[in-house]
Amino acid sequence: MHDIFEITREPIDKQGLEQRLLTGAAGAMVTFDGVVRNQTKGRPVVTLQYEAYVPMAIKEMERLGREIREKWPDVDRIGMIHRFGELKISESSVVIVITSPHRKVAFEACHYAIDRLKQTVPIWKKEVFADGEEWVEGSQGEITKQTI
Amino acid sequence: MSVEAIWIKILLFGACREAAGIEELDYQLAPSSTAESAWTELKNRFPDLARFDRSILMAVNEEHTGRDTILSSGDTLAIFPPVSGG
Repeated sequence: MHDIFEITREPIDKQGLEQRLLTGAAGAMVTFDGVVRNQTKGRPVVTLQYEAYVPMAIKEMERLGREIREKWPDVDRIGMIHRFGELKISESSVVIVITSPHRKVAFEACHYAIDRLKQTVPIWKKEVFADGEEWVEGSQGEITKQTI
Repeated sequence: MSVEAIWIKILLFGACREAAGIEELDYQLAPSSTAESAWTELKNRFPDLARFDRSILMAVNEEHTGRDTILSSGDTLAIFPPVSGG
């Protein structure tokens, strides 16, 4: 198994990640790229600040990887990189890559991966506006129900 | 506290870390203390944390856990708001 799970302060090398995951067995590669949006409910965002509990975040991404393989045994490779620190508009905060022999599995698994990552991986973001800042609160109901 | 008191490390993240103004502290607790009792002590020391009472999540030794988990000496208890990565 050569899946990739990383937390980094540096800009995410999306193409590099894709290349590292490509094997001859893949016929489809689906990449989700989460990027910083310039507004929240109409309020202009200046930057996003991400904070991570790094060792636990890696463990949770690995756990999610195992979950994906149980649900979609045909998945070939899984890659997830989440960035932390201060991010500017349009920069990538998270990139998830799934490869599989055929497209359906890669699409489904990638969609599932980002939804679950947002529920279980211990990372938090703060929106910095021109006139203040606010922590974004996740939906805790899901995590307690499905993880504990 | 008795000689059997346990020592744990507490980590705070996100809005909890900001409210307490501290990210890491070592704590002495009575034997068989739960994560909930550590949280109660923490709120007494940092009253600004009280507003997170209903929303916080906890992890012991980097695993999500419930508030009734019993702590052992050397454990790392992380306390944080619902995650919001992505």
